[in-house]
Amino acid sequence: MMNISSLLKWARRKSPWIIHFNTGGCNGCDIELLAALTPKYDVERFGILLKGSPRHADILAVTGPVTNQTKDRLLRIYEQMPEPKYVIAIGTCAVSGAPFWDCYNVIGGVDKLFPVDVYVPGCPPRPEAIIQGFAKLFKKMEEEER
Amino acid sequence: MSREEEILRKLEEKFGEKIKGIRIQRSRRIFAEVNVEDLKDVLRYAKDELGFDHISTITGEDLGEALGLIYHIAYENSIELSIKTRIPKNNPKIVTIIDLYPPAGIYEREVHDLLGVIFDGNPDLSPLLLPDNWPKDVYPLRKDVSLEEMRALIEKGGGEK
Amino acid sequence: MSGSTIRVIIGPQHPALKEPERFILETEGEYVVDVKVRIGYIHRGIEKAMENRTYLQGLYLSERVCGICSDAHTTCYVQGVEELLGVEPPPRSRFIRVVVAELERIHSHLLWLGVAAHEIGFDTLFMYVWRDREVVMDLLELVSGNRVNYATNTIGGVRRDLNDERIQKIVKGLKILEERTKEYLKMIEKEQTVLKRTTNVGILSKSDAIKYGAVGPTTRASGVKRDVRADDPYAAYDEIPFNVIVEDGCDCLARIMVRGKEVLESINIIREALKRMPSGEIRVRVKPRIPPAEALSRVEAPRGELLYYIRSNGTDKPERCKIRTPTLANIPALCKMLVGGYIADVPIVLAGIDPCFACMDRVLIVDREKKRADVWTLDMLRRYGREWYQRH
Repeated sequence: MMNISSLLKWARRKSPWIIHFNTGGCNGCDIELLAALTPKYDVERFGILLKGSPRHADILAVTGPVTNQTKDRLLRIYEQMPEPKYVIAIGTCAVSGAPFWDCYNVIGGVDKLFPVDVYVPGCPPRPEAIIQGFAKLFKKMEEEER
Repeated sequence: MSREEEILRKLEEKFGEKIKGIRIQRSRRIFAEVNVEDLKDVLRYAKDELGFDHISTITGEDLGEALGLIYHIAYENSIELSIKTRIPKNNPKIVTIIDLYPPAGIYEREVHDLLGVIFDGNPDLSPLLLPDNWPKDVYPLRKDVSLEEMRALIEKGGGEK
Repeated sequence: MSGSTIRVIIGPQHPALKEPERFILETEGEYVVDVKVRIGYIHRGIEKAMENRTYLQGLYLSERVCGICSDAHTTCYVQGVEELLGVEPPPRSRFIRVVVAELERIHSHLLWLGVAAHEIGFDTLFMYVWRDREVVMDLLELVSGNRVNYATNTIGGVRRDLNDERIQKIVKGLKILEERTKEYLKMIEKEQTVLKRTTNVGILSKSDAIKYGAVGPTTRASGVKRDVRADDPYAAYDEIPFNVIVEDGCDCLARIMVRGKEVLESINIIREALKRMPSGEIRVRVKPRIPPAEALSRVEAPRGELLYYIRSNGTDKPERCKIRTPTLANIPALCKMLVGGYIADVPIVLAGIDPCFACMDRVLIVDREKKRADVWTLDMLRRYGREWYQRH
């Protein structure tokens, strides 16, 4: 079981920066991710900030299935991130591409390109599930820090 | 007489046998078929004389030996007239209708991308939907190409520049 | 979403550009002089996949074309399939479809309002609107079991019924939404930053709106009184009195007002639907195999006219399923609005059509005079717009 308050303390101290990339999904996950940042769910109390540049990001949050046309850019963003870097796949598409399994421009989930640290399934996952995914990621980051 | 019946009657009066088949499927839905050489005249008449001022979209489909095109136009946003025609698959050309309906340009681009139809007179048939690395002469909506084949092609050549 | 600018010299090829940019803007000085569009970013290949799936499997795919107006997609799809089958969904289900569709319209318009506020830099409004939007998200979850992708529609009717308890909660929630939305509209009408950035910006005349095939709130903000719910009624819309919201401003402000007032109108439509809701079954059973037939189905999605053309071939899978989203229909009008306007206005004009692409986060700006092409992120465009308006 995670101790949420110690995680919060860690997160506030560490203040992870997240870069978000939508590879071509339906936007369902994006709006739940965004909803997680707004007052009702208020993920900013975790000290999470959404940033634009991969060079300063600790975490890459991906929504959507990896498509033919976004594969290169997604890879490049990952490569530009400094170590230690972490990846969270938000939504069933990012996890496995499943809803679009027979669509010709869809390659699959994020782990077809590079390793994923936390998978948050759901179509889309609710904001609570996304927050829990981040909490699990922070726990992992905290453990690896030690 | 309903508005739909009136439209049907006017089209039959004006074009006679050039309208190869026309039927009212239900209220506000008319389907008709014409030869490709008569298509533009029929569309022009529908637009200028019958008040069909909106083009909803152009549907393309693979009918085997031929490619089918359906022009869906609307009267007062209410009655949809779907005009079908076909062109040979080995010479998939048809005249553009962007001079009648400017937004048709974007629908023609889409049909060009996915089925390989060439719209004569449309100055911009650049890819709308398919990425740059998409293999040439592969038209996803044609029945002769399968998902597996497309995936294999993409894996071979896709994602590289 | 890189924050840096990539500079290249224009040549016959653009060697440094690895992905097709969705928008290419040609500029001269501070004006946009031409717009070219490529929207392949989110092209997944859905229409082909539909031919590979049974009609019921296709329903799940249609729901995920767009996560913001997923109910519009499933409604349009099932109506088309029902027409192929020659089946009428029961009356109660048609009213429930209206309730869910209008709840979705409210969520979509409020979402948009928050995003549009963000475009102008009005982040406080964004936060308030999205907080209040949670009221409608809760109602959608109450009615369907999910916040997004409600899966209430099925071929032949709806899958979940409304009981008195749920109806009471809906009525309560609508009252809150109505109060708040009225406040926001009042705020917007007086807020100088909003007015400055949206009045006379992105002009689309009434005749251009029709000529370029604009749909939805975009066309209604140019004085064109067209709404599929009224003109080509479906579900239970022909049994419910409502107003089509039209504004004459033809600018971005008019587009904000149309969507804001549509939220209020949707609230009324839901109230009327609940009042008139007939009792009875909510679905009829249908056969998986559909004899050869064709159907053209249209709905008024939050963004405008959405249509599905479906052909059956005697099997349990469609021969063809064509989907035309409202955003695609608005692209020619969008190009018309952008040309001749300021670069600084691009983000807000684009937002004005409520685009359904995943995110138009990069544009290519081609400066004709300087013979240079730069890739700009949408953030950069927004910042440019804000700073430009501070100077002018």
